[in-house]
Amino acid sequence: MAVAVQQHEKTPLWRNATFLKWLAQITVLVAVTALFIILGTQAFENFSKSGVSFGFKWLTDPTGVDIREGIDTSPDSGIRALSVGAMNTLRVTISGIFAATIFGTLIGIGRLSKNWIVNKISTVYIETLRNIPLLVQIFFWSALAITLPSLTADDVGTYWFKTSNKGFAFSWVFWDGGFWPWLTFVIVGAIVGKYVSRWRHRIQEETGQPSYPGTFRLLTILVFAVIGWFAWPLLSFLSPVWHWIADLVANLPPMIVPIVVAAASILVAALWIRKFFEARRTPAGFGKMTDDDWFRVIFAGLSGLIIAVLAFVIAGITITTVAGDRVSIPELALIGLSNIFDWLGNSFANNGGTPLVFQQPTVEIRGAGFVNYGTTGMVMSVPFFAVWTGVTLYTATYIAEIVRGGILAVSKGQTEAAQALGLTRSQYLRLIILPQAFRIILPPMGNQYLNLFKNTSLGIGVAFADIVAVGTTIMNQSGQSLPVVLIWMAFFVTGSLIISAIVNYYNRKMKLVER
Amino acid sequence: MTNNETPQQERVLGGDIIITEGVKKWFGDFQALKGVTTKVKEREVVVIIGPSGSGKSTFIRCINRLEAHQEGTIIVDGTELTNDIKNVEKIRSEVGMVFQQFNLFPHLTVLDNITLAPQWVRKIPKAEAEETGMELLERVGIPEQANKYPGQLSGGQQQRVAIARSLAMKPNIMLFDEPTSALDPEMIKEVLDVMKELALSGMTMIVVTHEMGFAKEVADRVLFFDYGTIVEEGTPEHFFTNPQHDRTKLFLSQIL
Repeated sequence: MAVAVQQHEKTPLWRNATFLKWLAQITVLVAVTALFIILGTQAFENFSKSGVSFGFKWLTDPTGVDIREGIDTSPDSGIRALSVGAMNTLRVTISGIFAATIFGTLIGIGRLSKNWIVNKISTVYIETLRNIPLLVQIFFWSALAITLPSLTADDVGTYWFKTSNKGFAFSWVFWDGGFWPWLTFVIVGAIVGKYVSRWRHRIQEETGQPSYPGTFRLLTILVFAVIGWFAWPLLSFLSPVWHWIADLVANLPPMIVPIVVAAASILVAALWIRKFFEARRTPAGFGKMTDDDWFRVIFAGLSGLIIAVLAFVIAGITITTVAGDRVSIPELALIGLSNIFDWLGNSFANNGGTPLVFQQPTVEIRGAGFVNYGTTGMVMSVPFFAVWTGVTLYTATYIAEIVRGGILAVSKGQTEAAQALGLTRSQYLRLIILPQAFRIILPPMGNQYLNLFKNTSLGIGVAFADIVAVGTTIMNQSGQSLPVVLIWMAFFVTGSLIISAIVNYYNRKMKLVER
Repeated sequence: MTNNETPQQERVLGGDIIITEGVKKWFGDFQALKGVTTKVKEREVVVIIGPSGSGKSTFIRCINRLEAHQEGTIIVDGTELTNDIKNVEKIRSEVGMVFQQFNLFPHLTVLDNITLAPQWVRKIPKAEAEETGMELLERVGIPEQANKYPGQLSGGQQQRVAIARSLAMKPNIMLFDEPTSALDPEMIKEVLDVMKELALSGMTMIVVTHEMGFAKEVADRVLFFDYGTIVEEGTPEHFFTNPQHDRTKLFLSQIL
């Protein structure tokens, strides 16, 4: 060969791809860190100059906020008020996600239906609702609900279901004194049910006869639920145990908290690195690591160390409580943990009652001729109704299109192959089409869940008492705008990350094995 | 029958197992089948050839009702194909089909692909279905791939799995819809070998293909389709050496 290959010439540093990649990674890391530090210190300086006190003391200070609906309508502190708002946001989000998924899936399948009427109704629904801004839709549902007749003295009484311009009241099941011990029975039943289901599966595989694993599983849980309904007071012996653990936790030396946190973070980092190395091990021996691989390993290790160090740094901070005591963060953490065990202890104590109670709503006269729903049953206020209906129907249009796309994306050949094997329609939908469609549907579905969660903040337009509306009130009262906004952001980021994590978990589980 | 022991011996054909009478099929304005009448005997190997769009695929897809014919009658193994879902399901479980694009189920392992239908349609216990599945994988020559996913296999291997998947239902009749058209040249032979072995074992087969070598070697009868009708039919010998119809002559001159 006449071609001269210049292999042995040393590559200069500025042409070395490996070096350049490392340089870029480290530069970005340093730049981002520096940017945050500069922005943070700058903001603090500006605040101290302008005289606005930037702080979170309002979280524990008494507050005069009154909230229209939620777990506590007259909260005693800022943090309590915000958690009532957060609970309202979560209520709309979680129930909205379930409703939008079911409804959207039905509409999506409806759009694929060969039945002309079903098909056209689905199409019109999707094309109408997804083309109107969500805020306008929320105003519409609110305006519609307000046109309902108002409650009068004639309406006083008990109902299964009652509508009025004060909202929708319906019968509901609430937990009562024995709920938590009973739930323990049900959870144990669910675990036992899993084994029962496996056992029935094994029988089915061995004999080929249908052995109804799903039915057996449900029956097992039901049996435990029924036994638990009567036997839950037996678990009240756990109450002193929980209290004892609470005392134990409260008396631990505070230094244990940073030690445990640091150990945990280093352990997690170490396990992650080990798993990473394991994943690159091939039968032939240890796989070749790329530069990116090394960067990830080093980054994971550093993160573990930094969190460990931070744990000790934060442990030194003390804050002032409502009562005026100064406590350190680790002490606060131990008190919180101890409170959880105390709460468990109280929940398991036998205070009478039943696990669940069924309540019907009532209409009562309150004060001078002022008619409203009573305290029993579930009352869905007009703002809640408007936001819930708005986000559910709006998100359902997108979910419908995602479901339709997912089913269409499974090739026609899959259906034909399944049909040619003699599988019935319900069998091939369940075993062949849906598992494949689900995997296509899942990632965009996660996006819609995130959108629904974030869109609930539009509820401020109809004065729905979510975390944004409550936060605005606190902002006006205390003048602390930035801390409130930071808490909003932290809340929505955390919630979104949890939703993403759940969706990603299922996504990874469903991934196709390719070459 | 002694076919399995002496594969060279002429297969003895049985009675008529598929009878079609004036089968017509339209896709909108386009008439894909313009009255197809033929009979297939038990253990017969029929090869269908013809230009694309001639209705040959549509015809075999009508035999297990992946397409519904609109006029005429199709009787498979004594059962007439009508709107009656029960008849359709019965015939589909007795007639295996192999597709051009394999159509394996990508989310299931090779063995699960094969055992799925026997378990759910025939209600055969999983252990037994897996045993049969492994035997079939031995027969098509890839038992070592049992626990891989279809995406990890080559085209030829995937098509052999597809054949094994159909055979797992113990069909009386096998339909092949251009089984080698999507394969690389060197993989065609491994699939054709499996099909030859199957033909010699006495399976009734209808094969739509462009593989003239296979037609010459294995077929009992060749049907030439054009414009939705059978233009010419006969033994491979007659067909390739002495075609009668001008259209057939033109077609053969272009592909041979």
